[in-house]
Amino acid sequence: METQETPMVELRDIYKSFGDVEVLKGISVEINKGELLTFVGPSGCGKTTLLRIVGGLTPATSGKVTLDGEDITPLPPNMRNTKMVFQSYALFPHMTVAKNIGFGLKLQKWPKEKIDRRVEELLSLVYMEGLGDRTIDRISGGQQQRVALVRALALEPKVLLLDEPLSNLDANLRVVMREEIKKIQKRLQVTSIFVTHDQYEAMSISDRLLVLHEGVIQQIGSPTEIYEEPANEFIASFVGYVNFLEGTIDTIDKEACTLAVSTEYGKLEIALEQDDIKAGDEGLLVIRPETLTLSHSYEIEQRNTFHGTVESHMYAGNLAKYTVNIGDRKIIVDQYDPKDAGLFMEKEKVSVTIPRSIHILKKKARSIR
Amino acid sequence: MAEGVIEGIQSRDLWYQFRAFFSRNLVNVFAGGLFALLAIFLLYPIISVLVKSLWGEDGFTLDYYAEFFSYNFYYWSLINTLILGTSTMVILLIVGFCFAYLTTKGPMWLRKPLKITALLPLAAPPYIFAISLITLFGRNGFITNLFNLNFNIYSWTGVITAQCLAFLPLSFMMIENVLNSLNPSLEETASDMGATEFKIVRSITIPLAAPGILKAGLLVFVMTIAEFGNPAILGGRTPFLAPDAYLAITGEGDFNMASVLSVVLITPCVLIFILHNYMLKGRGYTTIVGKPTAVEPREMTPGIKIPFMIISIGVGMMVLLSFGVILLGSFVKIVGVDNTFVMDHVLNTQSNIAIWNSIKVSLGAGIVGAIVAILLSYVIMRGRFPGRQFMEMVALSGFALPGTVIGIGYIMAFNRPPFLLTGGILIIILNCVFRFLAVGVEAGISKLHQISIEIEEASADLGADFLTVFFKVVLPLMFSAFIVGFIYTFMTTMMSLSSVIFLVCPGFDLASVYIYLTAQLGELGLASATTIKMIAIVAISLGVLKIIAKKTGLEVSKKQGA
Repeated sequence: METQETPMVELRDIYKSFGDVEVLKGISVEINKGELLTFVGPSGCGKTTLLRIVGGLTPATSGKVTLDGEDITPLPPNMRNTKMVFQSYALFPHMTVAKNIGFGLKLQKWPKEKIDRRVEELLSLVYMEGLGDRTIDRISGGQQQRVALVRALALEPKVLLLDEPLSNLDANLRVVMREEIKKIQKRLQVTSIFVTHDQYEAMSISDRLLVLHEGVIQQIGSPTEIYEEPANEFIASFVGYVNFLEGTIDTIDKEACTLAVSTEYGKLEIALEQDDIKAGDEGLLVIRPETLTLSHSYEIEQRNTFHGTVESHMYAGNLAKYTVNIGDRKIIVDQYDPKDAGLFMEKEKVSVTIPRSIHILKKKARSIR
Repeated sequence: MAEGVIEGIQSRDLWYQFRAFFSRNLVNVFAGGLFALLAIFLLYPIISVLVKSLWGEDGFTLDYYAEFFSYNFYYWSLINTLILGTSTMVILLIVGFCFAYLTTKGPMWLRKPLKITALLPLAAPPYIFAISLITLFGRNGFITNLFNLNFNIYSWTGVITAQCLAFLPLSFMMIENVLNSLNPSLEETASDMGATEFKIVRSITIPLAAPGILKAGLLVFVMTIAEFGNPAILGGRTPFLAPDAYLAITGEGDFNMASVLSVVLITPCVLIFILHNYMLKGRGYTTIVGKPTAVEPREMTPGIKIPFMIISIGVGMMVLLSFGVILLGSFVKIVGVDNTFVMDHVLNTQSNIAIWNSIKVSLGAGIVGAIVAILLSYVIMRGRFPGRQFMEMVALSGFALPGTVIGIGYIMAFNRPPFLLTGGILIIILNCVFRFLAVGVEAGISKLHQISIEIEEASADLGADFLTVFFKVVLPLMFSAFIVGFIYTFMTTMMSLSSVIFLVCPGFDLASVYIYLTAQLGELGLASATTIKMIAIVAISLGVLKIIAKKTGLEVSKKQGA
């Protein structure tokens, strides 16, 4: 009756302290079957500790870890059906590739032929057929990464844990491996937790993200939700750049699905997309640089348009990044395809058009501790 | 039915919890066992000595200390020992600096020969120099006769000379290490600004090297005052602490006074050990990391080069002469008196039995020592229990404690229940295992630093329990450290004299003890021949060690055991 609904992993009120330092302050999350969830946050936010708690490598100070409905909190790593890919890969240097992959199978007392077959199958999963006899120092960094991945997959774990697995690879290989991991994960439908400090990596690989900051969950959501509907200022500025603008909700027009906001530079009309705000609320407008448009039409008064002066610009080929002074505030504007839009010079007077679709952070939501 | 299921889960939970607890804490169980061994075989003997020095027939007393300080024979042995340590240290710092300066900055052709000569004494027991000095300068010595000298080698001159030659490698290696780690561009900058080489040595090299040189000096001091063989053989009527403690037991059976002498001897060693390990830790101006950059050597000023070369080559010649005379003494009747070639000394049955006994004991100590050292380094590095640092300190302390003291501690601690061990080969092996643990433990720790803990976590994550992780993953990866621990313990046990001399039973001679006794009796040919055989065995072990160190890139601790 409930099997359909049981999450694969459930963390309930996880606290963890190292001495006097509390690194995790009450983490609760459910991870669904077959899902790839990413723990992401700045270094020191506790994401790796949280992953190690799931894997049993670090005991939680308090809280409960459930795996497929079974309480596994007190179990050491060797008694859990979770397998980890380590940041350093942690391949055994005194064993061959095949021995590394077959290590867990051998401990499970699989017969030799069965191990060999399974290892060969796993090697072909990562395009490494025939390399089983190599020693670890005779394969490339990317191949080591693949071996670490399939070694963890060999025993068909209920949950695959990946601790910053791509951080030792160069930038190009990182993108390749990211896609490969995602492909394998989707193909095997293995529930996975991926830890990274790289927001873009997190955004591109995840089904959902769990953003941690100072041991507290800031937001859990899909990449789109995290980017477009950030729960607070931290989340908003965590992924990409953001311009914040303070404003007060004047009126809400439910018929037209719009709301009027007054800011220090004038009034804005914004599409009504959130149901948690009402007239009179003070809030913070989350304005992404790439949603703004610049125009020369300085004199013409238009709706949702502010006037300003270009302070500086940076040309990067596919986009031009402008810093525009509006009053005493600086706003960043990203203009993609600058050839088409035309370049704006320093000290040039411009109009900045604000889009109608803007996320508003309510005052009290601005910062979760 | 639902209740039954819940009960099932709960009882399985208990079993799971037990297994989980066991798996998590096995390393600490190991640690407990090892700590018990350290307590029994290092702390207990030392505490026995301390207690014996304070405990008379009527309980607690300070009488024995009062006695020590009221008889000038006793307190002079303390003063003499300190004078010996200080003078040897001062001389060896100067000589060691000359050697190290020349091997790092001197003319290329001289570097290798000087380095080899300076390290040569490592392959021999320290008391080889007592024997060679007697052969050369004794009453019937080669040089005494040659120049018809009236010269007494059984004196301060003899003891200090022998000690300086014996501990030259220690001083040289440490100072050379420091000089190598100084960035040559600092000296070049000074030179570029117009400083002379005198000025550079005085205001750049020595100040930068000072912390390292100080450490070298302290170690030389400890090693010298703890040395038993040289002052015992050459001391003549001058009292020194280590031989006096030995005589108090073998001559007078006075365990209380022997204990007082031991405590007095141990005090400076402990102070320096603490100073060395905790106060000087991390001090030093190591200005480059890794290999020294290849720089064209500057031509040395003759004003520095000539005195440095005179000192180094002079001392180097003494080392070579000593080895030569020992080799010669093994094959001729009496060096300088009757130079007929004989094989009697080398083929002497008693000498061969003693060598064979030493090999057996050293193999035993090597194997047991390496195992204990590996386990200790593992629990020290990976265990999660309080007192790990204390445990490490105890494990390493065997090295800093004078062998004489540990020897006396062993006969007192293990000649009665609950640990009745005296009179056998086992007690000698255990004594050497725990005295020479430090190098193996340090090799193990250094190896474990190279092995990422994630490797062990990965094997646990893949389903291996603690023992499987240890035997399948950790042990194979630490094999080189195991070998280093084995060979070091083997070599040092081979040469060790100061503590095993208390533990050998009549009819079971070890090579070192045999050398000491024959040297005392003036049978220099037998002493030399036995020493040569011992050197051959040690040299082979050193060669193997060097090959392993090179192949595995393992940092081998550069200390010398006596």
